[in-house]
Amino acid sequence: MRVERLTFTYPGGGSPALRDVSIEIGEGELIAVFGTSGSGKSTLVRALSGLVPHFHGGRFEGRVDIAGSDTRRVRPAELTGTVATVFQDPEEQIVLTHVAREVAFGLENLGTAPNEILPRAHHALATVGALHLVERPVSELSGGELQRVALASALALRPRLLLLDEPTSQLDPAAAESFLELVAELGIAIVIAEQRPRRVLERADRVLFLEDGRVLVDAAAAEAEKWLGRHRPAWLGLGEHHHVATPAERVCRLQNVGFSYRRGRPVVDGTSLELRRGEIVALAGPNGSGKTTVAKLAAGLLQPDVGIVELRGSAAMLLQDPGRYCLSERADEEVALGVQGDLGQARRALGAVGLAGVEARHPRDLSSGERERLALASVLVVGPDLLVLDEPTRGVDPMRKAELAALLRDEAEQRATLIVTHDEEFAAAVADRVIVMGKEVALV
Amino acid sequence: MLAALAAAALLAGRVWSVGLIALLLMLVCLRGPRSRRRFYLIGTLFSAGALFVLTPFVETIGSHPVWAGPIVPVLGQLDVTHEELTSAALNALRLAAVGFAFAAYALLLDHDRLLRSVRFARTAALATRLLPRLERDAAGFVESLRGRGIAVTGVRGHAALLSPLLASSLERGLSLAEAMEARGYGRAGRTSVPRPPWRARDTAAVALAVSIVIAGALWL
Repeated sequence: MRVERLTFTYPGGGSPALRDVSIEIGEGELIAVFGTSGSGKSTLVRALSGLVPHFHGGRFEGRVDIAGSDTRRVRPAELTGTVATVFQDPEEQIVLTHVAREVAFGLENLGTAPNEILPRAHHALATVGALHLVERPVSELSGGELQRVALASALALRPRLLLLDEPTSQLDPAAAESFLELVAELGIAIVIAEQRPRRVLERADRVLFLEDGRVLVDAAAAEAEKWLGRHRPAWLGLGEHHHVATPAERVCRLQNVGFSYRRGRPVVDGTSLELRRGEIVALAGPNGSGKTTVAKLAAGLLQPDVGIVELRGSAAMLLQDPGRYCLSERADEEVALGVQGDLGQARRALGAVGLAGVEARHPRDLSSGERERLALASVLVVGPDLLVLDEPTRGVDPMRKAELAALLRDEAEQRATLIVTHDEEFAAAVADRVIVMGKEVALV
Repeated sequence: MLAALAAAALLAGRVWSVGLIALLLMLVCLRGPRSRRRFYLIGTLFSAGALFVLTPFVETIGSHPVWAGPIVPVLGQLDVTHEELTSAALNALRLAAVGFAFAAYALLLDHDRLLRSVRFARTAALATRLLPRLERDAAGFVESLRGRGIAVTGVRGHAALLSPLLASSLERGLSLAEAMEARGYGRAGRTSVPRPPWRARDTAAVALAVSIVIAGALWL
C-alpha cells in the first residue's frame, strides 16, 4: 500500500489539507500518525480509505494505491474488505439498532454468503471481547462498548488495512490500554491517528508526524520518540503540576448526594465533594462511574434525588460534545450568548483560547479541535465562580493541552474548577487534587 | 398493520370509527419507552388539537350554527356550525391516528429489518433512526445553554433551536453516509442475513391488514 506525492484540498478550502505526502505501508505494520489539530491526520485516514476524494470531493493530486487499486478509480465501497475504518466517534458510524446486525452490516454489503454472515460477526465480536453484547440494542451501550462494536464491525470484514481515527478518545485509561493491546495483536497493517501518543508509541512500528499537511517525520518508533523529545516535547508528556492551592472560601459542596436517571439504578450514590476557590480538582474514574453526573449536579444542571448540593455564586459547565456549541451563525456570537451579546468580551475570550481570527466563521466550519476551544471560550466568558469542564481535552493535541493547562492555572484564583477527565497526563499537569470516583488522591 | 390502521383512519368517514382507531393506536404507543413516547404523544396531540380548533374557522360548511362571531377582514364572518365541528373532529382524529401510527413505528418496530427491504423503506428506516438522536441533540442544546446560565423558555426560545437542530441533523446524516460508504453500502451483490421463515401468522397479519383497509374504505 502506497501513497505517492498526495496533495489534497477540500472543496472551498484555501490551503491543502495534505501536501506532497508520500508513505508506504507494509503488511502487518502498525503506523502511528501524530500531529496537531488540523494537521491532516483524519484527511490521510480518509485518503487511505478512498473517502477522499470520492465522498468529500476536492482537488486531488498524486496517487493512493491500496493493494493494487488506485483510489481515484475505485470507490470506497469497492475497497471494503481490503480496507476498514473506525472513526473517532463510534456513535456517528453505527447504522443499525442491534449489535449483531450492526456487525453483520458490512458483511452483507460485501456480498458474504448468507449463512456465513452471523458466524463471522460473532467471531469478530469474540475477538474484541464483546460477544456478550451480541443481542444488545446499540442504544444501551457505553462509549467503550460502542468502540469495541465498531472495531468488531471493521474486523469482521477481514481487512488487510485497518484505519483507526483517534479510537481511544472516549475511553478511560484501562479501556484504552486494552483496546490498543487488542489492536496491536491483530497482525494486519494498521494506521492509527492519535492525540494521546504515549500508549501508541509503545506499540507502533513506525511514526508519522504531520504538520500543516506535510509529513515532518516518518521514522521507526524509537527514532521518532527521540525526535519528539527534541522538537515537540509536549507530545511526550505535559509535566506535572506541583502547586497545591491554598484553600479559600468554599464555592460548592455536595453532601451524600444520590442520583438516578428515570428511576433506574443509582448512577451516583452517597457522593460528597467540596470545591474551594483557587483550586483545580480533577474527577477521574472508569467509563460509566458517574463522573459526568457528579459534574452536572455540582453545576446545577441536575437536581439530586437525595443529599444536598450547595453552590455559592454562579456556575458554568462545558459539556463533552463541542457540537452543542454551534447555535449561532458566527463564532463570536456563539461565545457572546453567555454575556448578553457582548461581542467585545466574546472576542477577548476567543483570543484567550487561541482562536483570534475565527470570529466571523460559522462554528460548524471549524475543525474539531477548534470547536473544542470555541466551546471552552463559551463557558470561560461567563466568568463563573465554579467552572466545570467535562473532558475538555478530547480531540485536543498535546500542544493545545499544555496551553489549556497554563490558562486554567493562570486563572485558577478567580474560581473553583472541576475537571472531568480520562486524560491522566492532563490531570497531572493541571490539578491540585484528583478524585477517582470512590477514592481521593491528592497530587503534590 | 400500523400502515393499514393509518390508511383505514384516512379512508373511514365516521367520527366514532376514526376515534376508535386513533385510541387503539395511542394505546399501542403507550407500550413505548416512557422517556421517548412523551415527545411523540405531545406532538401528535398538540397537532391534532390545533387542527380541531382551527378547522371550523377556515371551513364554511353546514347550516346549523353553534356560535356566530364577529366579521374579520379577509376571512369574513367567524362562525362555527355543527357540521364544521364534526368535520374538524374527523380530520383531527385522522391526523392523530396517523401520528400515533408513526409514533408506534418509531418507538416499537425493529427498523433494522426494514433496511433489507425496498429502497424507500431503507431510507425511511435510516431517517427514523436519526429521530432519537434529534431528541438528544435538542436536549443537549438546551443543556449547553443552561450550562452558560441561559434559560430556554417559551415557544420562541425553543423555536430558536430549530435551525441548529436542522444543521446538526444534516451534519450527522453526512457522517452516517460517509460511514456507510466506508462499510461498502451501495456495492453491487449485497446479500443479507437469512430472514426468519414466513409463518402462518405473517400471512394472517397481511390478510388482516388488507381487511382493515377495505373495512375502512367501505364500512367505517
